[in-house]
Amino acid sequence: MATKKPDPFFIGWAKKPPKSLQGFLFLVSAVLIGAAAGVAFGIGSSVPDPGDARFAWGAGYQTFTGYVDAKPYPLLRLPAGEGGRDKPHAMLITGVGKRGMQQLAGPLNGQPVDAGGILLKRGDLDMLQVGGRVSLRPAENPVLNFSPAPTEQLGRWRLTGEICDGKCYTGAMRPGVGLAHKACANFCIIGGIPPVFVTTAPLLGSEFFLLADENGEPLSSDVEDWVALLISLEGEVERRDDLMIFKVNLDSAKQL
Amino acid sequence: MSVKYVPVIWNRTKLVYDVVVLAIVGAYLGIYIYLAPTFQTVTRPIDWDIYKAQAFGTCVFFLLTFILSIGPLARLDKRFLPLLYNRRHLGVITCVLAYFHVDYILGWYNAFSPINRYVSVFIVNTSFDRFLGFPFEILGILALLIMTILAVTSHDFWLHFLKPTLWKFLHMGIYLAYALIIGHVALGALQSAAGPFMTAATGVSLTLVITLHLLAARKEHLIDSLKSTLDDSGDWMDAGSPEDIPDKRARIISIEDDERVAIFRNGTKLSAISNVCAHQNGPLGEGKIVYGCVTCPWHGYQYRVEDGRSPPPFTEKISTYRIKLESGRLWLNVKALPPGTYVEPVVSPMTGEGS
Repeated sequence: MATKKPDPFFIGWAKKPPKSLQGFLFLVSAVLIGAAAGVAFGIGSSVPDPGDARFAWGAGYQTFTGYVDAKPYPLLRLPAGEGGRDKPHAMLITGVGKRGMQQLAGPLNGQPVDAGGILLKRGDLDMLQVGGRVSLRPAENPVLNFSPAPTEQLGRWRLTGEICDGKCYTGAMRPGVGLAHKACANFCIIGGIPPVFVTTAPLLGSEFFLLADENGEPLSSDVEDWVALLISLEGEVERRDDLMIFKVNLDSAKQL
Repeated sequence: MSVKYVPVIWNRTKLVYDVVVLAIVGAYLGIYIYLAPTFQTVTRPIDWDIYKAQAFGTCVFFLLTFILSIGPLARLDKRFLPLLYNRRHLGVITCVLAYFHVDYILGWYNAFSPINRYVSVFIVNTSFDRFLGFPFEILGILALLIMTILAVTSHDFWLHFLKPTLWKFLHMGIYLAYALIIGHVALGALQSAAGPFMTAATGVSLTLVITLHLLAARKEHLIDSLKSTLDDSGDWMDAGSPEDIPDKRARIISIEDDERVAIFRNGTKLSAISNVCAHQNGPLGEGKIVYGCVTCPWHGYQYRVEDGRSPPPFTEKISTYRIKLESGRLWLNVKALPPGTYVEPVVSPMTGEGS
């Protein structure tokens, strides 16, 4: 006698799926939940290292006294001893959020100032997010016997690397580099945050360069097209204290 | 099936389906956000908002991969048909998760500025002439727009309002959304923010979707290529032996590339109806006669096999076809009758009840 072959048929509005399908559907559900867990773990645990970049909230509000250079982008020229360094230090400064410090720093260019805010740190790099009660003001007690050293010219170079916004790279965002971060970096640069060039190999011990145009002025908005890409740039390199400045013509940019 | 519009018609299957989907989403997000970080080898963790944006974004991508895999999987193996039944809920959940992804991104990368965060998406990166560096966010926004339209129009009200053909065409937009998301991921996260596992998983997902669709297309092509012979009049097509049709099931006959007929056997009676369900164009010929009605394998819509009408109070109707039995072979008249036309079933003495 021929036995009737089971012919399971699923109907969504039926009370239950056919018995012969229930095991299969349970297995599929379990596999899907397991796969979701496995893929989530695999991706989440293998994210690239965004680096040791951070706001130094633990150090609290800090004040510095030195001189301010407004061009190409505002930076503090600090004497040896400030922040525990044994040599003079040039430190980039920024406003709160995606805002630069040009408006406050411009009128104070070359003058002794007090600057207060929260530090951002990435390894030896640092940047001061200026704000709070001191903000940026003429120095109440200028440092005696200190004036910033003249800029040192280091010649013409073609360097390879990535243009980032100085604030996110230094610690405002993790990750603060790469194409996924490009819009944010552009956003910062539009707001006046200094663009920086992070090279793939060090030049004279530095992989971090503040960017400027060939005349030492802020870069034009054309820089936004080159942000976050692996490129090479040609220009003059100079050093102010321990900060490298790369004065470039963006027409020299080549995407690699 | 319903004769009135209600926000969501719940039944036990849908509830179980949604619970499983939420378990999948919960497992993914829970492990990504809370467990995986404890196994990362990073100097400092990724910003919490960005990390959550990654979790939700990748979840959306893999859910879309799954959604697009269900169709061909069900074509290749009928046991996967239950996954298709409540796919619309899965799509709506995916769309909601995509909004979380966008909210986390806009609330972090596009925040902290006087520029409006929504406006900023369109103005801060205008490198439209570049491949690398292209504003991939726009691709994501377009995909989100499509997903939103599909989610909003997923209700049967819109299906009836737009009619199945247009509704189906509109909802094929999910493929465009998926392509846009592939571009969004490839030009964004995969360029810098993703580890090797994410890159591999994205490649596997895309390969899976393409492979399943090619396999399903090959199967469909094989069905369509089995063209039967027409008689001298050109009106009747050889539909094979009635004995080969299993009881309560159908044989699918391809008349044209875009027209198929399902010849159902109900005991000793044989009837032919359109293979296309009036609800969502589901393949009726892969359905079964249940409670005396042909039942669509996708969503359970039912039709009387003799006249192609849904039993009252339902009003759906499909085309019927005339068949005849000559010398032990079935012949199908290739001219479709108006939807709902009664056709007397052909009784085949060679087919026994339940054989």
